[in-house]
Amino acid sequence: MLALRLLWRNWRSGEVKLLAAALLLAVAVVSGIAIFTDRLQHTLVQESNALLGADKVVRGSHPHDPVWNQAAEEAELHHTTATNFASMIYAGEHMHLASVKAVGEGYPLRGQLETSTTPFATEPDQIEIAKGIPAPGEAWADSRLLPLLHLQLGDKVAVGEYELRITRVLIREPDSGNPFSFLGARLLMNAADLPLTQVVQPGSRVQYQWLLAGEPSAIERFSTWLEPHLNPHQQLVDVSGNQRGLGRTLDTGRRFLLLAAVIGVLLAGVALALAARQFANRHVDQVALLKSLGTSSGRIRRLYFAQLFALALVASVLGLLVGEILQRVVAEGLWQAYQIRLGSATLYPYLISLASGMICLLFFALPALWFLPFVPPMKILRRELAVSSLQLWLQVALAFLAVLLLVLLFSQDLGLALSVIGALTGVFAITGLLAFGLLRLSRRLAGGAGSVWRLALANLQRRREQTLVQIVVFATAIMLLLTLTIVRTSLLDDWQGQLPEDAPNHFLVNIPVHEVNTIRQLIDERRYQHQPLYPMVRGRLTHINGVELSETSVAREGVFNREANLTWTDTLADDNKVVAGKWWPQWQSQHGLPGVSVEEEMAEEAGLRPGDRLTFSLGGLSMEAEIASLRTLDWRSMRPNFFFIFAPGSLDEYSPTYITSLHLPAADKAFINELLRAHPTVLVIELDRIIGQIRTIVNQVSDGVQLVLWLTLAGGCLVLLAAVTSSIEARKQEVGLLRALGSPRRLMLGSVWLEFSVLGLLAGIIAVLGAEILLASLQHWVLETPIKPHVLFWFAGPLLSAVLIGGLGMLSCRSVVNTPPAIVLREAA
Amino acid sequence: MSSTPLMSSTPMVAASGLVKTVTTYEGALTILQDISLEVAKGESLAIVGASGSGKSTLLGILAGLDLPSSGSVSLNGHILTNLDEEGRARVRAENVGFIFQSFQLLPGLTALENVLLPLELHGVDNARTAAADFLGRVGLSQRLHHYPQQLSGGEQQRVAIARAFASNPRVLFADEPTGNLDSTTGARIIELLFELNRELGTTLVLITHEDRLAQRCQRRIELSAGRLLASVENV
Repeated sequence: MLALRLLWRNWRSGEVKLLAAALLLAVAVVSGIAIFTDRLQHTLVQESNALLGADKVVRGSHPHDPVWNQAAEEAELHHTTATNFASMIYAGEHMHLASVKAVGEGYPLRGQLETSTTPFATEPDQIEIAKGIPAPGEAWADSRLLPLLHLQLGDKVAVGEYELRITRVLIREPDSGNPFSFLGARLLMNAADLPLTQVVQPGSRVQYQWLLAGEPSAIERFSTWLEPHLNPHQQLVDVSGNQRGLGRTLDTGRRFLLLAAVIGVLLAGVALALAARQFANRHVDQVALLKSLGTSSGRIRRLYFAQLFALALVASVLGLLVGEILQRVVAEGLWQAYQIRLGSATLYPYLISLASGMICLLFFALPALWFLPFVPPMKILRRELAVSSLQLWLQVALAFLAVLLLVLLFSQDLGLALSVIGALTGVFAITGLLAFGLLRLSRRLAGGAGSVWRLALANLQRRREQTLVQIVVFATAIMLLLTLTIVRTSLLDDWQGQLPEDAPNHFLVNIPVHEVNTIRQLIDERRYQHQPLYPMVRGRLTHINGVELSETSVAREGVFNREANLTWTDTLADDNKVVAGKWWPQWQSQHGLPGVSVEEEMAEEAGLRPGDRLTFSLGGLSMEAEIASLRTLDWRSMRPNFFFIFAPGSLDEYSPTYITSLHLPAADKAFINELLRAHPTVLVIELDRIIGQIRTIVNQVSDGVQLVLWLTLAGGCLVLLAAVTSSIEARKQEVGLLRALGSPRRLMLGSVWLEFSVLGLLAGIIAVLGAEILLASLQHWVLETPIKPHVLFWFAGPLLSAVLIGGLGMLSCRSVVNTPPAIVLREAA
Repeated sequence: MSSTPLMSSTPMVAASGLVKTVTTYEGALTILQDISLEVAKGESLAIVGASGSGKSTLLGILAGLDLPSSGSVSLNGHILTNLDEEGRARVRAENVGFIFQSFQLLPGLTALENVLLPLELHGVDNARTAAADFLGRVGLSQRLHHYPQQLSGGEQQRVAIARAFASNPRVLFADEPTGNLDSTTGARIIELLFELNRELGTTLVLITHEDRLAQRCQRRIELSAGRLLASVENV
């Protein structure tokens, strides 16, 4: 109780406010980020899982074992099935090789089916979200199917031996990115009708999907159980496997948020340590007094630590509240801007927020207060007695330990935590050295300067240790903020750059050789942006260096184990880059075989190198090629991308069809109808919906990133404020004295302004240097984005930092300079 | 460690053979040399001497704030030199009050709260009433809720006196209690100090430069360069 009374009195006298603010901010930063990230992650996972129609899918050429149904139900998972196959469907004399999907009740488990009564509907009021699946005896048809088969809604189509009535137009389905939709217009039917069609016979090419959805932890547990039960024809797929590009974007986003959270907490932690130090220094006399009154060291420790914990508790709860409000504000903004409702958060982020408050308290604030109980009581009579506080290096070491713990708490990734610590150690060491060097340099320059300058620089020199600490703190704060700002900008640019407004959103596949020119002409006439028309042959890799694929380590890997699209070209697309071997015509074959360029990651998985021989089966014919080069490519580019590119002419004899991608503005959707009527064999893959989804996800992550940046900036400002105010105490007396001796107000203010500006400038220079190094390593190792210098920041960083810190310093000292010297001296005494 | 309470005829404060040396950059420095003295219960003692003669060090050691390098000190029968810091803190809590030259009021606390602090630490019942009562006795009943900054030097020292006497100490140590005050205010403070000393039967040990104050004590001793020069009984 006494501790609480003391806390209240300390609060009233303003001594713990900065401490409380720092703690509150630390918790607010963590909770804001953690809760938002948690909600965002759930939503993103769900949204991206919507691209799959489920959280996980067992995909294969065999149906799933019905026994698993019960196991899934016991694990409290939802499940349903989707059976994909290509089948010729008939309406009177018209027919089409449709991509049929027979779905079970509950489909899709994630995402929605959008239907309409109008083919090619684009207006929201024409589109309706389906509440179920087609009833038995009914089917929903792709818009394109209606003109292809000259159908109206209500007409019947025959699928195998069974007739289905078309009751709605299927505008969108969640998992349209599935390779099977390449085959033709979609017909969605009820799985109950499937046996009646008698289409699926032993040996038919059918893809069975067993869709699963539920709590992430339940899904994980079930997957672990399921994995060993799968037969070689089945694989368990999730969105990261399904959408490589998207998975990467999400991953980078997550890493950024994590990094930002760590930086935010670190800044708040530094502010906390500074504030605690200030608090401790102010309380040395009080402790000496309490001791002279007979209070034991143990009692003092309990009194102070109890105050601190009570403060931490209040600040943490308030911080949690602030974090919660902040994340709600951003979530609401998301709703306003993109009509996206974030899912609710789990308990975990709330717990780690409170835990990080306590970690910050234990590792940043307590060490600064540690020495208080050891203040000798004699200090009350002999003020000059030295008080040994905890060694600075030990405090820094404890702070590092805190960061390690926090990163571990956030990421559960020891490697990441250690690399953050490594980077921080480097940053501090370099910053300290640079600060020391620059300070020495400034002393030399000060020799011939005017009185304001001399006073300012003399002040910096005199308090060299404090100045060094301040520069390191300022520089680190600014460096982290700069790094975060730049990373954010380049991340957003990178993501936006992947999906520019005119990114291709439709693929045209299966274009016959004799229609290539007319189609190219048709697209050009409309001035649609399009990629070159690539010839394409479907083929399967059968041997590596003469060894049968089934004998190799990659026999069961998806990319090797299915038909791939093979192409040939003489010009390398601008997002492809040769990383090993040579591109033609520079390339020379060692074995007298045609050359093939292989995608790098795939090559790495199978240990392929230039010069290796690959055998392909193309429509039953075998052909051998030699690896000429390995290529990186950008899967996120929405362009036709190929694992294997052959030298021009090598596939001429395998009757290719052509493929291209183009950007079709939303208003011109009807062009597809026109194209399909004139070229019925061409297949159109509509990616506009997926692109829309990806763009939404990118926007969500960007907004999260923005919020985090603001919180971190607040942390940075608090650090600056804490560092500036900590030196005010020491300054009071000297300013009062100088004023009493008749120094003009302008000289005082000028020297204070200059002193802090020089401090800011030095810190800014160091910060920019450090930020560039930090950025380069982050971009290279963590975020995997290209490294670029940021020339603008080289000038803006130091300048802004000088202005900001100079301003803050002058503002804090203004009251001291403006107060009559007698009062200042009395207060300081 | 233990301390043995001695017979009631024993002095309130006793020191024998006190030596205090500290290590400086220039080697060992002797601050106090072979000092022995006794202060009887209820007696008032003034320690005088030039600046740097070791007065504050002696006061600190007698009050149990510091330890001598050799020699022994007892306070109300407790041998302080046999106790650790926690033990000495207990003895201080039960027996000792302080008044300082620079008042040592906590700037964030009101006059009342400053007086209240030791009472709260000692867990005294009705601490608030007692504290207000003592402030009334030093003539500050109108100033209970003023902060030190809002009080004059004399008023601040009165608060400090109220704080020192409020916990009813057996011995009061005062370090230049009038050092920061003008002579009129100083005189009033001296009056107050001795009035309470008389009234409560407190033993008083004080350091002063001021002859007037030293004269009021029953006895004075003079220190010079760490040695006890003279012990004079005031008539």
